[in-house]
Amino acid sequence: MTDTLDDHFGQLMQAAQTGDGDAYIQLLDELTPRLRQIVRNQRRFLEANDIEDLVQDVLLSIHAVRATYDPERPFMPWLLAITRNRLADSARRYVRGSAHEVHVENLSVTFPDTRPNTTMDAYGDPDALKQAIAALPRMQRDAIEMLKLREISLKEAADACNTTVGALKVATHRAMATLRKMLVKKR
Amino acid sequence: MTRDTEQLIRQLANSAHPVRRLAQPYVRAAIWLAISVSYLAVIVVAIPARHDLSSKLSEPLFVIEQTAALATGIAAAIAAFATVIPAHNRKWILLPLLPLAIWLGSLGPGCLQELNHFGWQALPLDHSLWCVPIIVLVGAVPAVAMVVMLRRGAPLTPQLTAALGGLAAAGLGNVGVRIIHPEDVTVMLLFWHIGAVMALSAFAGSMGHHFLNWGSTVRASENTAR
Repeated sequence: MTDTLDDHFGQLMQAAQTGDGDAYIQLLDELTPRLRQIVRNQRRFLEANDIEDLVQDVLLSIHAVRATYDPERPFMPWLLAITRNRLADSARRYVRGSAHEVHVENLSVTFPDTRPNTTMDAYGDPDALKQAIAALPRMQRDAIEMLKLREISLKEAADACNTTVGALKVATHRAMATLRKMLVKKR
Repeated sequence: MTRDTEQLIRQLANSAHPVRRLAQPYVRAAIWLAISVSYLAVIVVAIPARHDLSSKLSEPLFVIEQTAALATGIAAAIAAFATVIPAHNRKWILLPLLPLAIWLGSLGPGCLQELNHFGWQALPLDHSLWCVPIIVLVGAVPAVAMVVMLRRGAPLTPQLTAALGGLAAAGLGNVGVRIIHPEDVTVMLLFWHIGAVMALSAFAGSMGHHFLNWGSTVRASENTAR
């Protein structure tokens, strides 16, 4: 990031602090693609909508604390400090939220649908399911065994696998997708 | 740019009224100190100062102790205000360490004297707990002023910021107690008064995320814009 660009952003923010709406729009318009890039680089596993949510969080935060910008100081370190903090904050909130989260499938509950009216809720071919689980990569297999078969908590499973809750969730999601594909092929 | 983000930028720009730039941490600490000392003066008038205050003020150790406690409060306030400015130099956090060390050190000679006199077994630690609510009472307005001022900044490190703010308020509260209450057993002071200051600071730190968080900061800015 060049000093010129830093000065340019600094001047726009200085104008925005005095209530210049046009300068403020220009500043936020020019910052947004850069913020999106930073968020995408830091959170490669996120989908576009989640990245956009984070970008908007950062924009709201910049707006809320714009009085803390001092034109005597460089702009980019100020911006990056807020961005990094918001990313860390969202990661903490995600972990806290997922600790209390219970994942449920979207099951049909209407009476005319035949599926909720079945008395048994088991997969038709247990052997095929066992084989499919055994064929999964190790991380995904561990995730399915611990979370879906033994039903232990995400945190305990993450500790047992020596990984993070987030990584385990991703592994579970992938494992479920793989199993679905494998079992549909066999039918 | 997605439509939502574009819309958000337009909304933010529409609500972008002029803002008063945050002053430097030391200037804000001076404002906070002025509020706090004014309140302390009211307390000292309401609850008369200790009868031996004039003679105590001629004792170098007493003066050093109170000066260091006051300096700890001021340094902690500067450090707390520095932590709410994004990208501000983090070395400011260490500022209270020197006056804090001098404060603890000023109690050292008295502690050693008592240790020689009473021995470990008979050290006088009995103490009425009334000094804790007095520290809280004297520190209450400085603490509230501190919270209001800190909430104007960015909640980057809520726990650390609140702990430093708590140290500032409790440090000043301790000075107030020492001016009001005639009590000079130094081991007891170390144990109860400084213990109370540290406990209040730790408590403030543990509560930091309740009053310093991005959610309330963003909401406050939205309310101001309305």
